[in-house]
Amino acid sequence: MSGLPWNWSIERKLPLFFSALLLAVVLVMLGAAYQQVRTAALTFASERVKRSTKEWVNASQRSTAQQRTQVATLVADPGLRDFVASGGRRGRDWALAAMRHVAPDNTPNVAMELWDTGGHRLLLRGDSALASDPAPLPASDSGVVSPYRVRRDTLLLSDMQAVVRRGPEGEVIGRVVVVRRLNVSALARQTLTGIAGGDMALLIGNVDGDPWTDLEKVIPAPPPEARVVHDSAIAVSYVRGDAKIGAAARIPGTPIMFISELSRRQVFAQSRTYLRRMSLIAAVIVVIGALGAWSVSRRITDPLNHLTTAAAAIAAGDLGQRVNVSGTDELGRLGHSFNAMAGEVQRARGDLEGQVVERTRALRETNAELEAFSYSVSHDLRAPLRAIHGFARILLEDHGTGLEPEAKRVLGVIDDNTRRMGQLIDDLLSFSRLGRKEFETARVDMADLVRTVAAEVRLRAGDRPLDIAIGPLPPALGDREMLRQAITNLLDNAAKFTRQRAPGRIEVGHRADGAETVYYVKDNGAGFDPRYTSKLFGVFQRLHRAEEFEGTGVGLAIVQRIVLRHGGRVWAEGQPDAGATFFFTLRGASDA
Amino acid sequence: MTQPHEVEILLVEDNPSDAELTLRALKQRNLANQVFVCHDGAEALEFFFGDGSHALREIGVVPKVILLDLKLPKVDGLEVLRRLKEEARTKSIPVVVLTSSREEPDIAKAYRLGANSYIVKPVDFEAFARAVSDVGLYWLLLNHPPR
Repeated sequence: MSGLPWNWSIERKLPLFFSALLLAVVLVMLGAAYQQVRTAALTFASERVKRSTKEWVNASQRSTAQQRTQVATLVADPGLRDFVASGGRRGRDWALAAMRHVAPDNTPNVAMELWDTGGHRLLLRGDSALASDPAPLPASDSGVVSPYRVRRDTLLLSDMQAVVRRGPEGEVIGRVVVVRRLNVSALARQTLTGIAGGDMALLIGNVDGDPWTDLEKVIPAPPPEARVVHDSAIAVSYVRGDAKIGAAARIPGTPIMFISELSRRQVFAQSRTYLRRMSLIAAVIVVIGALGAWSVSRRITDPLNHLTTAAAAIAAGDLGQRVNVSGTDELGRLGHSFNAMAGEVQRARGDLEGQVVERTRALRETNAELEAFSYSVSHDLRAPLRAIHGFARILLEDHGTGLEPEAKRVLGVIDDNTRRMGQLIDDLLSFSRLGRKEFETARVDMADLVRTVAAEVRLRAGDRPLDIAIGPLPPALGDREMLRQAITNLLDNAAKFTRQRAPGRIEVGHRADGAETVYYVKDNGAGFDPRYTSKLFGVFQRLHRAEEFEGTGVGLAIVQRIVLRHGGRVWAEGQPDAGATFFFTLRGASDA
Repeated sequence: MTQPHEVEILLVEDNPSDAELTLRALKQRNLANQVFVCHDGAEALEFFFGDGSHALREIGVVPKVILLDLKLPKVDGLEVLRRLKEEARTKSIPVVVLTSSREEPDIAKAYRLGANSYIVKPVDFEAFARAVSDVGLYWLLLNHPPR
């Protein structure tokens, strides 16, 4: 369950992969939705500030036009003209009456002044605190609106001026100034922004810069990019305090403009709320998806784990192992197939075991038959042979005096051949017995074994000069009795074929060859023709005539059989009349 | 005819040739007069445990040594040996097993059942004669069964 991700179990990989996929999809969709919501909020906010600005500008334009009409009517009044023309000496009541048409007495926030061309104020009516300073005459008689100005830090004032002429198309003799104060207060701001929706700020000020107001107090002018004036209100983004979206428009024919603005943070507040809510839902979806994926993967991996366990149990030999199968989906079919396969394996194993039992029984029977045959050979074949030999001897002993020499010779031949036949049967029996004998592995002291056997061979050689040299021999692993038989055969063989040498020399030695030891028995005897080396170890194979050297041709076959049963090799080297060397290998026994 | 009370060697051998050769070997050592021959296992058992119908049987006379071939008709040599060694009266009689080959697995069984020695009947008559008469002499002359 550790290491590189692709080495993780399916139970872990599948839910992880699915959850990652789900998370990626959810994140992309969430991002897209958030962008869309933001764009919609921005568009909506832009529309709102534009509409608000337009409405305020339209309303202001109408009121300005109305004021212009009133002022135009005022300056055309004959009584007022007469008052100005007289330098304020007559017609004061006329002038006041005319001015009362524009604004009734005691109208707050409005002051009206009459000036002559010489810069003297002829008349001041209304709030004297708003009284204007001497100013140059306007260029025309149409109502000219001045930019706002601040007085005593809190009063925002704006004039509308118009020239007074002596008569229609006559010379200019003075002017009328109507000073209006913008009523700014917390109440005013609340009231007006409340109309606009509460969250929107309304700003009024000069196109060219300070002063500006948010309707509650005097504020610095918004940045120039907020005051860009177009034919129609266009929403722009700028920073005033914080980031804003606003739309500005000038009141036509005046140096005054409006801005409606919204804080971007407020605009996007809902988008963020939306994002938070959606994120929560997305997280829930991802968690549910991950749990679902985990559950699905468990439904896949659980049966697989059961299959693996069952397969391992079967591999370990518990062939009765089956898996619980439910459903008909791919996993169900796999389980059914697995059970069918396990059943087949179990059945096949049962058959195989039955066959092994059957074969073993047959083999035992064959072996028993072979034993019976061997017994029969050893007993029944030898009994008549013994009788032939015995009675031939009796004939020779009891009636020998009456027999011709030829008859005696024939009896001698019978004697010889029965002896050989007996030897042949004995050798054959001991050869076949080798295949059945129990193999007992032990550490065998080869030097000791060879010395013992050599002593017996010398004894059998009698007075004949026989020199047996035994070199140091390492111990071997094997069956002591079998090895004794093999060495006996080899030394007997060597003694037999050195019979015509005086003295006969036999040398027993070894050399190491890896984990094996190569033992050899070398003699200076009759040797053999190397062309027949392959026949040397065959049963009943003889390379010498019986008259030269007696023997049944079984001795070396027995040696080969013994060495092969020890897992070794046996071979021979020799030349006619130049002696022979017999080699055999055995696994070494460590002295530890 | 040899009388039972003179019996010193009981030869149990079915093969007449072998029996004759054995007797000849014993005769060469002057032992043949005391030999009685049984030709199968049943006869041997009758000799020892018979109900009295056996013509030659006489209670109280036991051979000094038994030469027992293993392969016998009717009752085989091992069974005879087993019966002999079970019976208190006969179990002290030395039994020399005669066998055709040293390869016979029955040799081991015979020893387990209490055989005292064995002779492989060689094809070579001289060797056989020597072995038989040696064993016969040994058990007759050197070995004194408990009285």
